[in-house]
Amino acid sequence: MLEVIDLARYFGGIKALDGVSLKVKKGSIVGLIGPNGSGKTTLFNVVTGFYEPTRGEVWFNGERIDGLNPNEIYLKGLVRTFQIPRLFQSLSVLENVLVTPPHQIGESPLNALFKKKWANQEMNLARQAFNILKMLGLAPYTNIKVSDLSAAHIKLLETARGLMGGAKLLLLDEPTAGVAYTTARELFDFIVKLRDEKGLTFFIIEHRLEVLMDYVEYVYVLHNGKLLSEGKPDEVVEDKKVIEAYIGEG
Amino acid sequence: MIGPTEVLNTIWIGIIYMIIALPLTLSYKVTRIINFVHINFITIGAYVGVILFLLGVNSLLLVIPASFLFGAAIAVLNHFIAFSPLEKRGANPVILMIASLGLWIFYKYVVYAFLDLGQKVFRTNLFSVIPRATSLPDVSVGGYVLSGHFFAAILVAGVILGVLYLLLSKTSVGRAIRAVADNPTLAEISGIPKERVVSITWALCGGMAAVGGLLWAVFAIATPEVGDALILQIFAVSVIGGLESLLWTGIGAFIISGAENILMSLLNAVLGVPVSFRPFISFSALLLIILVKPPLGAGGGLPYRFKIVRHYKR
Amino acid sequence: MMLGFDVIGFLISWLTLFGTYAILSMSLNLEIGFTGMADFGKVAFYGIGAYLAATITAFTFLFVNGIKCPLHSVEAIVALKECASKNPALNVSIFVLCILITFIITGAIGYLISYPTLRVGPAFLGITVLSFGELLRIFMRHFEPTGGTKGLAGIPHPLAWIPDPRLRDGIYAAIVLVVMLLTYLLSEKIANSPFGRLMRTVRDDEIATLCLGKHVPRIKAAVFFLASGLAGIAGVLLAYYLGSVNPDMFVPAVTFNVWAMVIFGGMGNNKGALIGSAIITFVDRISFVVNLLFPQAIISPDYIRWMIVGLLILITLLFKPQGLMPETPIKTLALTAVAEESGGEENA
Repeated sequence: MLEVIDLARYFGGIKALDGVSLKVKKGSIVGLIGPNGSGKTTLFNVVTGFYEPTRGEVWFNGERIDGLNPNEIYLKGLVRTFQIPRLFQSLSVLENVLVTPPHQIGESPLNALFKKKWANQEMNLARQAFNILKMLGLAPYTNIKVSDLSAAHIKLLETARGLMGGAKLLLLDEPTAGVAYTTARELFDFIVKLRDEKGLTFFIIEHRLEVLMDYVEYVYVLHNGKLLSEGKPDEVVEDKKVIEAYIGEG
Repeated sequence: MIGPTEVLNTIWIGIIYMIIALPLTLSYKVTRIINFVHINFITIGAYVGVILFLLGVNSLLLVIPASFLFGAAIAVLNHFIAFSPLEKRGANPVILMIASLGLWIFYKYVVYAFLDLGQKVFRTNLFSVIPRATSLPDVSVGGYVLSGHFFAAILVAGVILGVLYLLLSKTSVGRAIRAVADNPTLAEISGIPKERVVSITWALCGGMAAVGGLLWAVFAIATPEVGDALILQIFAVSVIGGLESLLWTGIGAFIISGAENILMSLLNAVLGVPVSFRPFISFSALLLIILVKPPLGAGGGLPYRFKIVRHYKR
Repeated sequence: MMLGFDVIGFLISWLTLFGTYAILSMSLNLEIGFTGMADFGKVAFYGIGAYLAATITAFTFLFVNGIKCPLHSVEAIVALKECASKNPALNVSIFVLCILITFIITGAIGYLISYPTLRVGPAFLGITVLSFGELLRIFMRHFEPTGGTKGLAGIPHPLAWIPDPRLRDGIYAAIVLVVMLLTYLLSEKIANSPFGRLMRTVRDDEIATLCLGKHVPRIKAAVFFLASGLAGIAGVLLAYYLGSVNPDMFVPAVTFNVWAMVIFGGMGNNKGALIGSAIITFVDRISFVVNLLFPQAIISPDYIRWMIVGLLILITLLFKPQGLMPETPIKTLALTAVAEESGGEENA
């Protein structure tokens, strides 16, 4: 589904990403780990069009997408979340989810003037959004401003936003950072459920290996912008290079 | 067409642009605030000179430090009464910029009101005046008479730039300033007193811009709008530096100054473009840079590219 | 002097000024309040609107009456005065036409000038339009066909055929207020639609909006089109009210006035923009009268007034950042849909 070929991104002389190749199969949950500054977030940024790659290719569903703008990549079904959630602080929880569906009728400034044109669609989308919120246990907060939400709920809301937009592949950047251990496990249970029920694919950066390793099928390890190791979770945990990289950091 | 006049103008205007634009870039780097009060620093710096000369202080050695102190004091004051409280409340860059806009209007008309009063005290026209020390003789070089101020200004500018360079590269204060500019969070974690560094930066930048304004007025003229008239050029210069690189800001000063003088006189001679259209050159330069090489990282912008990418399906 | 104070005249001039500035501040509110774009060059579009109206009207009147002379010449002014009240239909239709044309042209200029700068940080848009306005003013000062520094005068009033000047000004003030009301309804409609939601998401976090598949530059440019077009209409209203235009009417200070109104009134709230402009234009008119009373003040009251405008912006931001009227949540259909949904469940 997602294929990255020899991807590199340099910032001046710093090689944040230096020739990484990897694959994410449809319907799988894949992890991406590595010490701080190993290039994980940079990889996400390049894949989602935040940065242009210095070299290499990104393919998604048989289409080449490197160099496209973030909005175009999103519309292809590749959706990301951020390490530090970027929600719209002055909007309510419901509206934060409602923003995501692409190509809404009322989003054109001309149509916006005629309520009749967009009212129907808006009502349907709102119902859909509310159901997603309900599924995630956010229903009681529907009309609350995001700025009044707790950290765990904010993480959930970001995921809700990803689901609403018709995502095919979700790139999650540290979905459980700052979340209690049990909540983290709940979140991953939920991810598995989504994969099984909706056929979504997940590619997840995570620092909490103890949680991640129980859920993913395949793990890539980055170190200094290069792929250090890859394989099934238990294989990677045994890998000496990986252990060294992590100890070297500590 | 291109005579010594254009070349000389390019040099001194370039130097003054440099002295005014470098602190704009530096203060943005450290504080991430687009500071419109920079305009007031220029005007106020110029008028500190005007008033002191009127009071009979005739030495540039006294006037320049006075100008510097005035600019520095206002810059630090702004930090404490406006920017710091707003930042503590978590105001975003746009709000900070608007706050500086409010301050700009306020100071601008404080100057106007002060001059209105001053006119009545000094009984001279203060709204358009050239501050000049009478003690500096003119120098004749190869048939051209150059005012002593020309050399004085170049000397002063050289000293200021030298001191700035040494300060930033060789002292611990300079290292702290650069650390905060590169990564404020990291700097704070590693024990650099961020608040103090920011205050020092403001003082430095306010003072430098004020001296720049004074030097400008010595050559050209001091009016309450002198800072406003320079804002476009100064911003164009800083944007060439991407609001990031001090070196490129310095180079940018000469690019803009050269375009304004040499290119302008060429356009005037060849196409008959009136000289009053000079600001359009800076504006075109500004637009050109924003279109071709926008300072996306530093200026805080969208990761959006206008170019069209065509890929072929596999 | 106080005895001869003309209350009705004062009210009419204040209401006209208020209507004009209210349109400007609502258009700025669309930009800064809802979308977070710092437009420091509002006056440019205001000026373009005024100049377009003046030029189109003067030209058409001279052309229709078969008079051939430059627009800014004394002959033209005299001729315009003569033919201004001959044909009411012409006056009114040109007025309406000017509003439409101006909206489209100033909007298009706003779109073009903003589009390249929209992806760079907020400061660049501000600086670009600020200098655009100033350069335009410099250009108009040197542009002879529209009269250079003197500008154009004698522009026929759309109601010039009403003989009583008091009645004419009163009706014109009413027209201005109606346009203002239409602007208000338009902004409210936009702000409470899905597009309005996008405007707010752009303001809150434009990068996240882009990453949600929205074409952020296009959204911003569309808002800029609308806001510039509205500012242009305000310019048209001003040009007819004063009957003349010149470059020095459109200094950056006008923009700052509008900014003070929006920030003081409350960013992101159209009612706030209305109240802000009502208060500041009222003070403006009063200080104009005071100015006449004290011609020999030590410091010109004008400077004091501007100092207050600057301080007002700063103090509002420091102590009451939401202004007089804080932003209200979007009046949304979505909640009713949700209420139905959850209500239905409870019943079942």
